[in-house]
Amino acid sequence: MLEKRTNEPVVLKEAPPAYGVASDGDIDLSLLKDSLLKTPWERMQANDDALNFAESLREAMLKRHAKPK
Amino acid sequence: MQNLSELTRRLIAAQVEFVLVGGFAAVAHGVAMVTRDVDICCRFSEANLMRIQAAFEGLHPVHRSRPDMRLQLTPEQCASLKNLYLKTDLGVVDCLGEILGIGGFEDVLKNSVEVELPYGKLRIIDIQALIRAKEAMNRDHDRIAVKHLKEILNKQS
Repeated sequence: MLEKRTNEPVVLKEAPPAYGVASDGDIDLSLLKDSLLKTPWERMQANDDALNFAESLREAMLKRHAKPK
Repeated sequence: MQNLSELTRRLIAAQVEFVLVGGFAAVAHGVAMVTRDVDICCRFSEANLMRIQAAFEGLHPVHRSRPDMRLQLTPEQCASLKNLYLKTDLGVVDCLGEILGIGGFEDVLKNSVEVELPYGKLRIIDIQALIRAKEAMNRDHDRIAVKHLKEILNKQS
């Protein structure tokens, strides 16, 4: 159950069963909402960051395949 | 500002037992699709969940479904949680206790490969298991990812 206290942050007292993120079929509405809160520049920066992370993962996989067995 | 590498580095540094799954795992295998959130399958033990909490200390982690609720796990919650959907100052991380089509953490771990990142070792779900997981999820973007992954698998064999 949730319990609100004055001057204290709301904390999860126990895990409710339906503990997922809002979604509409295939769309994660929480991600969409976050994206819409960003400026276009912030969205581009976030995209750059995601691409950089993706590139580091791809490089790590390539190195793994390059290792002699 | 989003920094998914730093989020992952923190998880590794905190010795969280996890396997990278989802969109970034697909990207690691070569899929050319853009994704935003980091999906991990992790052991849902109290110790491991507390490591996740420690990893994100200072990043204002909150539950994605309730951004007014900060991450403040109790032993009771740890015992009952199946998934943990988090938002931090550095990005979104979905922590999953099991993966549809594969099973729980131990099953996912068995179906994973290890890679070396500049900041430590990371386990990524292997391509065959990822295909099974995405086929089981069967959302629009999963079906596209499966097409990519099968093509990649064909090229590798």
